[in-house]
Amino acid sequence: MLAEEMYALRQVLSRNGIGYCYSGCMTEEILLGIGNAIRRHMQAREADAKTSRSVFAVFVEQVQNVIRYSAEKLDGGGPPEMPFGILAVGDLDGDIFVSCGNLVAAADVPRLRANLETIRGLDKQGLKSLHKDVLRGDVPEGSKGAGVGFIDIARRATRGIEFDFTPVDEASSFFTLKALF
Amino acid sequence: MDTLKIGASARTPEVDFDFDANVYRLKGECYPEDIAEFFAPLMDRLREHFARLRGARVDFTFELIYFNSSSAKAILGLFDLLEQTAKAGNDVAIVWACEEGDDIQEMGEEFAEDLTAAKFRLQLGE
Repeated sequence: MLAEEMYALRQVLSRNGIGYCYSGCMTEEILLGIGNAIRRHMQAREADAKTSRSVFAVFVEQVQNVIRYSAEKLDGGGPPEMPFGILAVGDLDGDIFVSCGNLVAAADVPRLRANLETIRGLDKQGLKSLHKDVLRGDVPEGSKGAGVGFIDIARRATRGIEFDFTPVDEASSFFTLKALF
Repeated sequence: MDTLKIGASARTPEVDFDFDANVYRLKGECYPEDIAEFFAPLMDRLREHFARLRGARVDFTFELIYFNSSSAKAILGLFDLLEQTAKAGNDVAIVWACEEGDDIQEMGEEFAEDLTAAKFRLQLGE
């Protein structure tokens, strides 16, 4: 029974092309450990160097976004905070993907959605110039183009980004961002 | 000898600064948990030292394999400092070492777009 359940969970992941999945407290140690595994995995697959670097870079930005912005944290009785999130990395139908999800305050959804819509609507040149503006501090982070992390993800995701929100309760929504290569 | 040497960690680059010779190098990867904690002390030392320079030759080499978006912001800030140092009457040469065609090359070229006084050179590996 135990093995069946675990195997069934693994089959669900496999059917969705998910090679790596983590759900729980997202910490810097997790980032380093899973990041190294993903790098080795990409090497073993003999993925081209640029794609490997982009997948790793997007993984780092995604996980750091969860660490910084997840609205769901385990109260460990003081710092460090233990933010919750879910991560899935894999490939399906020829696309490599890096997805992350976490709770956000319902009040932040319109702003996040607008930021991501803006970013998704920009072409390569538009993303480049917004990136520079945000890096320079000409555009305050979180105003027009969200954090520099989202822009970096969009620039590296050769097949684009997808995002979605679903309400969880009155105060919060679940947010997910998927980057495709 | 006035130097600052910090070994690379899993997520921070090797720092090799020689303030007497004005030869500086950052080498490795940069995606620390807290970029300010790593970068601010370096910037403070450099800012203080560069403010005193006139007519000096400054060589700054970046040999970065990967850096995250918060580090990009910090590196752009360092480019600004180098540009100011050049404008103050110093001969500042930035070398950006990377593999040809990789995203690091693109980032370096984008950072260099705003330089007018500091010199920028790409050093491409295979």
